[in-house]
Amino acid sequence: MEREMAADSQTPVEFTMEELCQPPLEAKSEVTNKLLDLQWKMGMAVSSDNCRSLKSPYVALMLKVADQSGQITNKSFEMTIPQFQHFFKQLKEMAAVIETV
Amino acid sequence: MQRVQSRFRPAGGAGTSPAFSAAIAFSWREAEQSVAMAGELESSKPLSGLLNGLAQSTFHRHSGITEELLRTQLYPDVPPEEFRPFLAKMRGILKVKKQNYNERLWDFTGDIHSIAYADMDFNQLEAFLTAQTKKQGGITADQAVVISKFWKNHKTKIKESLINQSRWENSLKAMNWRVDLKSQSKHFEQINVPVAIVELELGKNGQESECLCLEFDEIKLSQILKKLTEVEESINTLTNPA
Repeated sequence: MEREMAADSQTPVEFTMEELCQPPLEAKSEVTNKLLDLQWKMGMAVSSDNCRSLKSPYVALMLKVADQSGQITNKSFEMTIPQFQHFFKQLKEMAAVIETV
Repeated sequence: MQRVQSRFRPAGGAGTSPAFSAAIAFSWREAEQSVAMAGELESSKPLSGLLNGLAQSTFHRHSGITEELLRTQLYPDVPPEEFRPFLAKMRGILKVKKQNYNERLWDFTGDIHSIAYADMDFNQLEAFLTAQTKKQGGITADQAVVISKFWKNHKTKIKESLINQSRWENSLKAMNWRVDLKSQSKHFEQINVPVAIVELELGKNGQESECLCLEFDEIKLSQILKKLTEVEESINTLTNPA
């Protein structure tokens, strides 16, 4: 179920404590955005023109982010329930790691 | 009906072309499995192949599976003008509205509610197929069995494909994260502060993905987790109504 998330089989990269303590092999310089706010909703796709009875629940997130220059944009995306559960699990793991660093 | 039946006997051990094999490679194995389960029905192997070909084309949007390909590979003894209505009948039983799909295959209007459109459960399916066998110009009992086995094997995957096709907003394609320790900062208090760096790949169907890179500290992360816990509670309410 967890593998469903990555449509192009890109598996999440998880670091162990040992790896975190070592200097990274590649210095990745990405431009990061700051998360200002997170909103969520849960919806249900009931029916569509190609399937009368979809009955498919989903979670939609709306992220308010600020880039390095301070410009604010909204980014939104949807997840199926299993995808959400995977997402949530990843964030919980992140929190566990960040606590111990 | 008798004449139709005799035409639709399996072609004797004809090899499949590489193009066709490539087209339904993975589903041929499944077709074989479903044939094995259905028992040794004489006309079942090509029909299973046909249903798989239709499913690949319709639900999984696999291009390149034409009527001619299906006919020459699975029913080479059947002339095109006979094959066309047969294909249309099988297609009509399986599928949905024609307008979404390539005209090469979907040039026939079926007026029966198809199995996938109605997302039939197995009781509905049995009733539906039985009714089809009784119809003039409908399907045979053997064919009904093959269709039933096919649907049982592919229902979930087809449903997932249909759900995916009706997701038009961004979906989360991939997620990577790591935890960094900030070692340099113009603000002294940010030294040795752990931050989580998260890469979210967001994309829509058939469009190039966007990579959203976020950074948050422990406090922000715990705020996020609090909100996501609310989502989880909502999900639980949905699946286990009080």
